[in-house]
Amino acid sequence: MDLFLQNIVNGLQWGSFYALIALGYSMVYSILMLFNFAHGDVFMVGSYIGFGVATALLGLAAMSGIPLPGWFILILTIIFTMFITSFVGVFIERVGYRPLRDAPRASAAITGLMIGIILETGNLAILGARRLSFPQLIESTTYQFGGVYVTDKKILIVGVSLGLMFLLHRFIQKSKWGMAMRAMSFDFQAVPLMGISINRIAPLTFAIGSALAAAAGILYGLAYPVLDPYMGILLGWKAFVAAILGGRGSILGAALAGFLLGFIEIFVAWVFPSTLRDVIAYSIILLILTFRPHGFFGQAHSTQLRL
Amino acid sequence: MKSLFKGIVWGLIAVLFFTTNGWGFGRKKVVRVGINAPITGDIPKVGEGTKYAARMWLEDIENAGGIEVGGKKYPVELVIEDNEAKAESAVKANTKMITEDEVLVIVGPQSSKQAVPAGDVANNYETPMITPWSTNPDSTKDRPFVFRGCFLDPFQGPVLANFITEEFGFTKTAVLYDVASDYPKGLAEFFKQSWEKIHGPGSVVAYESFTTKDTDFSSQLSKINKSGAQVLFTPQYYNEVALIVQQAHELGWTGPIVGSDSWGSAETVTLCGKDCYGLFFSSHYAAAGAQGATKEFIERYEKKYGYTPDDVAALTWDSLRLVQTAIENSGKLTGKIKKDRRAVRDALAKIKNFKGITGDMTFTEEGDPIKCAVIVRISDKGEYEFYKSVCPN
Amino acid sequence: MDNQDPKFQLSTKGSRARLLDFVAPIPLIGWLLGILAAVLVEYFLGDYISYYLGLPKIPVLFGFLTVLKKPLLIPGTMGYMILVYGLPILIIVKSLQKPANKLAAFLDKRRVTVAALVHLALFYGALHLWADISDYRLLVIKLAMIAIMLTLSINVINGYMGEFSCSHPGFMALGAYTASTITLFFFANDKLFGEALLPEALGFYFFPLALIAGGIVAAIGALVIAIPSFRTRGDYLAIISLAFLFIVKSLIENLEFVGGPRGMSSQPDYSNLPMVFTVMVLCIWIINNFVRSTMGKALNAIRDNELAAEAMTVNTRKTKIITFMFAAFWAGVAGGLFAHVLRYVNPGSFGIQRLAEILAMVYFGGLNSVTGSIVGALSINILSEALRPLEIYKWIIIPLLLIVVMLVRPTGLIAFTEFKPKELMKPKQNKVEV
Repeated sequence: MDLFLQNIVNGLQWGSFYALIALGYSMVYSILMLFNFAHGDVFMVGSYIGFGVATALLGLAAMSGIPLPGWFILILTIIFTMFITSFVGVFIERVGYRPLRDAPRASAAITGLMIGIILETGNLAILGARRLSFPQLIESTTYQFGGVYVTDKKILIVGVSLGLMFLLHRFIQKSKWGMAMRAMSFDFQAVPLMGISINRIAPLTFAIGSALAAAAGILYGLAYPVLDPYMGILLGWKAFVAAILGGRGSILGAALAGFLLGFIEIFVAWVFPSTLRDVIAYSIILLILTFRPHGFFGQAHSTQLRL
Repeated sequence: MKSLFKGIVWGLIAVLFFTTNGWGFGRKKVVRVGINAPITGDIPKVGEGTKYAARMWLEDIENAGGIEVGGKKYPVELVIEDNEAKAESAVKANTKMITEDEVLVIVGPQSSKQAVPAGDVANNYETPMITPWSTNPDSTKDRPFVFRGCFLDPFQGPVLANFITEEFGFTKTAVLYDVASDYPKGLAEFFKQSWEKIHGPGSVVAYESFTTKDTDFSSQLSKINKSGAQVLFTPQYYNEVALIVQQAHELGWTGPIVGSDSWGSAETVTLCGKDCYGLFFSSHYAAAGAQGATKEFIERYEKKYGYTPDDVAALTWDSLRLVQTAIENSGKLTGKIKKDRRAVRDALAKIKNFKGITGDMTFTEEGDPIKCAVIVRISDKGEYEFYKSVCPN
Repeated sequence: MDNQDPKFQLSTKGSRARLLDFVAPIPLIGWLLGILAAVLVEYFLGDYISYYLGLPKIPVLFGFLTVLKKPLLIPGTMGYMILVYGLPILIIVKSLQKPANKLAAFLDKRRVTVAALVHLALFYGALHLWADISDYRLLVIKLAMIAIMLTLSINVINGYMGEFSCSHPGFMALGAYTASTITLFFFANDKLFGEALLPEALGFYFFPLALIAGGIVAAIGALVIAIPSFRTRGDYLAIISLAFLFIVKSLIENLEFVGGPRGMSSQPDYSNLPMVFTVMVLCIWIINNFVRSTMGKALNAIRDNELAAEAMTVNTRKTKIITFMFAAFWAGVAGGLFAHVLRYVNPGSFGIQRLAEILAMVYFGGLNSVTGSIVGALSINILSEALRPLEIYKWIIIPLLLIVVMLVRPTGLIAFTEFKPKELMKPKQNKVEV
């Protein structure tokens, strides 16, 4: 029982990264019907930018002699990093996706993939081979409830990601821009005729998605403080799986599927021999898709690739 | 058509004119040493250490005016190739260096998944190769031209099992390893074997795994926590060590954690911080409190590149020094590359009690060195302290 | 490059038009003869020429490797390229223009197979000599040919059928492991399976059977993806195939009898140049026939509109199953060859990285096009080898190049074309005279 509860806590933390990254995939998808395969690397870039911002802030605090508390620096870091990284997303949209909007969907996927490789290698070329250790902005204390160990970092990570998801939900449901985005995802052809420019909505979508990835990057840095240029690849592809599993373009679905994927990975490793984790976890996903071929919240229509 | 022809003729004359000065540097007698390292790909840090150690070695040679063979000094050239941490790229790089650059010896590749196929190439072309870091027995097995710079897993596993038993008196252990990477998997198996030989079957109470690039081990560690293990053995690379140790502590693990030579990177402590203080691992050498040549090497490296060299750099350095000794001992360079390679290989096999910075080395028939392992303790200042030395008997 | 319509050249007489004028009347066989001549020159004189030009060795991949490291050698390398490749090709091609056209006309009247065999024999001769000069070249060209097979076979799914399949490395792994297991089990003494069961001399002749077995296993694996593809497609299928890739890789890692993560090594050296070349030619031939058959047209129909295709009596289920299995078969065969070229396989070689590589090759070359796949695979393979001296910057330059190509030609370099061997081999001059 203890183990069960413990693994729920573990799964919540692990799933929130998948969920945050999957949201970015899903948002871009719902507007443009395209997948941004550089998204995993945007996450990586966000993590590195977060590292830079946090180090700079810590340095400033030390220099000026003002004793800034860790949580305050963390909040500033998250805000600044989300802001900076959103420009990375806008840049990717401008360079890799806007020129290809009418091209076959797969071409944009390839440019995304290639931008990702450039981000990775560029990072390696600029920063060198050493891995960075993300500064520990908050002291980690472990609380024990019965046999369950919970750190305040875990609570923070899950809390911040749920909060961000809630904010995103509000934004999409209530704000004018969110409405425009929903309209755009509803009808790609007609909405531009109503005076909503796709050239403003698409960058906005990329920016929000990248900002979420950046937040994920910082939280990831707190939980797993080892940064390397290739950290986004596997996480990105798995979040891609989650984004589709949730149902194409469904924000809620992507978030839920992200958590589900995290839970599956954690629980399979607990119940079964952990050597077989990938085999079993992905067989489960295969089965889910065989019986629910359009994910959880996807509409059951057979879309055509725009080739 | 005529003008085109004229143009071609004049172009050719121009080209010949420009290249006549090229005759000088066309084919000079140089000793080329190939380095096959993972500069891009999964483990760029390993490639960097290899490259830096090689450059330092080249500097030494250049200061000495070249390598001396049979009373004559030859200039040395390094051919550094990137194997992208991929098997086929390592094979391509080796083939290129052997057939195109005509290297005399190859040092590298470092990890077994590249060293096994690349060793095959080197052996087929009868080119001596030393892999400094590959612990897979297959790398050198039945390959007279392939050597190794470090000890093997079948030796390291029992060393660690014995050490834990003697030091702590524990009887129950847990193992956490990467199932998709051959080095951790091999070592985990050997450790399990020798542990069960000492404490009987069932004494490894948790044998958990994950997959390369995973960063969350909470499920496995929770299981280990509940299994009643007294010590955790995790033969992982330095970047994973930091994550495993921190997460274990966050999940309430209080026992000791023991590691293997792959912990021996300078980055282990920078990444892991206070969580790693007081832990033990086996290694090829201990940086803190090193003496003599080892100390000299570490200080030089630190001064030049700004961080303490890890075991890859130290082993690469030793391998290059071995190569140097072998070339010097080979008697004479004939200029016929095949003959020279054979001579170097024979000289390499004959080396006895080579004083390396990672310990004394003598090659066995298979081309594996007989070497001592060092048990290192991470001190409370985060330095690698020499704790104990275990030699094969 | 050489099947330009003569009509277009007469309008302007710029240098481009003059070049076309020069090139137009030369049939494929003329070019092949020219290439053969150039390779012969290199084979017999290359060493002297390179020595005279001050080069350390024969420039192995058109000089990229040496030039990028030592820019001083640029004039020498250029001179070498002109002397060894440029001049002989030009001279032979021009002087043999008439006989070559006659030969082409003669072959044109025979069956396509005969003509193709003659062309292939000439080409192989040139290739063999070219690869014989350096073993490094040989290795690069072998791996490039395997990449062609992979790219072609994924084009059948991703290009002709319009799915986004990510499972190709998985198929390749299945083929590689099956073929290696068979050859190691029967024909080699190794530590995994012990003594050879059959005499080693027989091995080479049984090797094609091992390849086919590898292909069949991969094809059976493809059923895992083909069956869900009845009910879903596009992105959902993409992650089904991605999950398949993860599962295959993880399974192999857990199978101790094929070496687990350590992989299998010391496969016998069966993948020599004639073997790889023959299999590749067969692969191109069969895939080209497949996509030009009724089945191939059905694939395009499914891609453009599945419902309409169904209404037009295309049996979509059968078509999908056959296509997936067919493509997987060739990926498996390519995997088997790959394992015997490297003589080592491990599960790590068949991961996400390989997937990115294959996808890049097929989309760079061009969807729905056999020629495109060949061009894409060759150029990316040779390029990534030729730019080796740039080390880390190689992986910035190649992706940049790919992005530029995608922006300029979003469907890839040569997309939506048909590969017609007969057209290619036609005589070029007679047409103008008649």
